[in-house]
Amino acid sequence: MSAVQTAEQIKDLADVPSFPAVYAAALDPRSSRRKGEPTLPAIAYRVRSVRIDAERARDFDHLMGGPATDLVHPGVLHVLAFPVSLALMARRDFPFPLLGLVHLRNQVLQHRPVRVGELVDVECRVRDLRPHRKGRTFEAVSTILAQDGEIIATDVSTYLAKASGPSAGRDGAGPSSADARAERREFEAPTPTGRWSLPADAGRRYAAVSGDVNPIHMSALSAKVFGFPKAIAHGMYTASRAFTESRVDLSRPLRWDVSFDAPVTLPGTVLVAFADDAGTGTVTCTGWRAGRGDKGPRRCFEVEVTTLDR
Amino acid sequence: MTQPDFPRDALILGGNRIPFARSGGPYAGISNQDLLTAALEGLVARYGLQGEKLGEIAGGAVLKLAGDLNLTRESALGTPLDPRTPAIDMSKACATSLETVIHVSNRIQLGQIDSGIACGVDSASDSPIEVTPRLRRILHRAFAAKTAMQRLKALGAIRPADLAPVPPRNGEPRTGLSMGEHQALTTAQWGVSRQEQDELALASHRNLAAAYDAGFFDDLVTGYRGLSRDQNLRPDSTLEKLGSLKPVFGVKSPQVAEPSMTAGNSTPLSDGASSVLMGSAEWAAEHGLTPLARVVDARSAAVDYVHGDEGLLMAPAYAVPELLDANGLALQDLDFYEIHEAFASTVLTTLKAWESEEFCRERLGRGGALGAIDRDKLNVAGSSLAAGHPFAATGGRLVATLSKLLHERAKETGRVQRGLISVCAAAGQGTVVLLESVTD
Repeated sequence: MSAVQTAEQIKDLADVPSFPAVYAAALDPRSSRRKGEPTLPAIAYRVRSVRIDAERARDFDHLMGGPATDLVHPGVLHVLAFPVSLALMARRDFPFPLLGLVHLRNQVLQHRPVRVGELVDVECRVRDLRPHRKGRTFEAVSTILAQDGEIIATDVSTYLAKASGPSAGRDGAGPSSADARAERREFEAPTPTGRWSLPADAGRRYAAVSGDVNPIHMSALSAKVFGFPKAIAHGMYTASRAFTESRVDLSRPLRWDVSFDAPVTLPGTVLVAFADDAGTGTVTCTGWRAGRGDKGPRRCFEVEVTTLDR
Repeated sequence: MTQPDFPRDALILGGNRIPFARSGGPYAGISNQDLLTAALEGLVARYGLQGEKLGEIAGGAVLKLAGDLNLTRESALGTPLDPRTPAIDMSKACATSLETVIHVSNRIQLGQIDSGIACGVDSASDSPIEVTPRLRRILHRAFAAKTAMQRLKALGAIRPADLAPVPPRNGEPRTGLSMGEHQALTTAQWGVSRQEQDELALASHRNLAAAYDAGFFDDLVTGYRGLSRDQNLRPDSTLEKLGSLKPVFGVKSPQVAEPSMTAGNSTPLSDGASSVLMGSAEWAAEHGLTPLARVVDARSAAVDYVHGDEGLLMAPAYAVPELLDANGLALQDLDFYEIHEAFASTVLTTLKAWESEEFCRERLGRGGALGAIDRDKLNVAGSSLAAGHPFAATGGRLVATLSKLLHERAKETGRVQRGLISVCAAAGQGTVVLLESVTD
C-alpha cells in the first residue's frame, strides 16, 4: 500500500469549504482511525480560481492594526488555504483526530506580491510524518498558484498529533521532556517593546475575518468542552499581528516563519519585543507571558519576517 | 523694485495663557474652544490687538473633537481681532504649539506674513469620546442603505458590545504601552533614581511658586474661571511628601527592578491654553511693542521605539545636538534650558544621554559626550511638573516664559542670552527650538 504514495491523486473541490462543515465532519464518530502504523493520505485537495476578497483582506488588515493595503498580508493567503487543508485532514482515512492537533510552526515563503481581487488556485497536501517526543508531527503544505501556474506562495504548517496511552512518544527522536522543561526555564524575557491586551472576544474577532471557528478559540465554555480551561488565541492571529508590525515591504519576496510555544489564553496579556537585524533584513518578534510569583515567563511565539532579494 | 532682505527675524513679542487646571477641576464642562478663546482674548487685551488683522493664527489641540476641525479659526472669531484674520489648525502631540511657533516664525522670516499668533489648547476634562469602529461602520452602512429592509439588516448587526463608548486611547497605538510605561523602561535603562526625580519635581514646584511670587507671570497669565495660578502648583511640597507617593508606572514590568515614577514626578492630565504673539521688527515697531526674543532655529527628530531601537521620549536627545551643531554652539553655551517635564525622568534621561560618552559616540556619531549642563539654568521658572501639561498648550507656555527670561537677563547683563526649548512628543517624536534675546 505504500507504493501508491508516489502516485498522488488530486481532488478538485468546487469551492473553499466552510469551516463549520469541516469541523462537523471532524467530529463525525464514523471517522475511525485505523490501527497500526499511521500513514498520511497521498492526495492533494485543490480549489481553482479563488478570488482574494478585498473586503475580507481589509477586515484582516484592520484587525491586525494595519492599514488596508492593496497588496495582501500573507496571513490572508493562509486563512484562504486553511479550510482546504483542514478538509483534507478531516478525511476519514486521515490518521489523527483534527481537533487534537497542535500547531507548532508555520513557514510561509512568498515569491511575489498578491493583489486584492486577484484569482488564485489553492493546493493542499500533507507530508513528512515524523516521530516526536509527544507523538508525531506532520506538515500541511498549501501552495498558492497564479492562473498561469506560477507558484506565488508556499505555506507550511507543522502540526503535532499527540499520542495517547502509555507508549506515547516512546519511539520519539526529539528531545526528552526533561530537556523541554529546562528549555522552558531558560527563556529569559527581553525588554518588551510592546504589550498586547487581548480581550475575551479576540478569538471570535479573528474567527470573523479568518472563518476559523474552532471551538477552542471561540469562548471559555466551548474551549472547556475540548479540555481547555480557557479560550486560546489563534496562533496565526498573534503571528499575523506580529507580521503587520514588522513593517515589511509587501512588494518584495519574503519569508514569514513562526514557532509557537505556550498557548495565549483569553482574555490575556502578551508582552512582545521586536528586534531588527539590519544585516539580514530580518525582523523578529518574540511574544511571552510575564512571569508571576515563582513562575517564570513563558514564551508564546517567535515570529521572523525576512525580506528576500528578488 | 529691490528685493527685500529675506529671511528676516521672527520676533517673540509676548505671550498670554490662562492658568492650567487639573483634569476635572475648575475647567470641567469648559470646551477647548472656550479655553483657547480665553487665552487669545487675554493676549488681544494685553497687546491692544482689538480690530487688528494679523497675518495668521496657528493653533491646535491634541484631544480634539471631529467637529472642531477649525478650532483655531472658530476661537479667533470669538475675540475682538479682525474677523478677517486667517487661521490654521496643526497637530503634533505634545509638541503642537512649539510647532505652531515654528510655523508662524517661518512665515514671518520668509515675508509671507508680518505678524501672527501661535497657540495651543487641550482639555483632558472634555476629551472626545467616540463610538466603536464597528458601530461606526455599521451606522455608515445603514445610512447608505437604499431600502428600509437593507437598513434594518445593517442595524441588526449591532451587538451590545458595539455600544460601549470609546474614550481617547491611553497608550501608544503600535505598542499598547502607555507613555508612562515606556518611560519607566527608559528610566530603568538609564538608572535614574527616585531621589533624582523627586528633586527635579520639587525644584519645578519651588521655581514656579517663586516666579509667581516675584510677579514674573503677571504679564504672561490671565486668570480664568476663578483660577489665578496653576492649580497643580504645590509651593509647600517637600521631598518627604514626594517620597511618600507610590510608584504608578513600571510597576508591572519585570524589567523595571525598582519602579520610581509617581504621580508627583509625572505630569497630571490638565486643561489649559497658551498663546504667543509674534511679528517682524517693523510690525513690532509700528505697534509700539518691545521684542523679547527671536527664533534662531528649530529641529525635529523621531526615534524607532516600536522595534525597541530607542526609548519613546528620547527624540529630543537627537534633535538638540543637531540644532546646536547647525548654529555652531556647544551645549554649555546656552544661558537657559527649558526641557519639558513630561516626567521628571524624561528630563533626567535626556541629560544623562548627553553626559554619556557611549550614547554620544554610538547613537549620535560624535567624538565624545556633549557633557553636563549647569542645573541652575534648567527650567528656572518651573515647568510642566508644577504647572501641569495641557498637551498642545505646553509649547506656547515654554516659548513665552523663555522669551521673557532671555529679555530680562539680557537687559540685566547687557549680553545676548540664548535659550533652548526641548519637547518630547508621543509616537517617538521631538521638537527643539533655539531662541536668542532681543533688546533695544
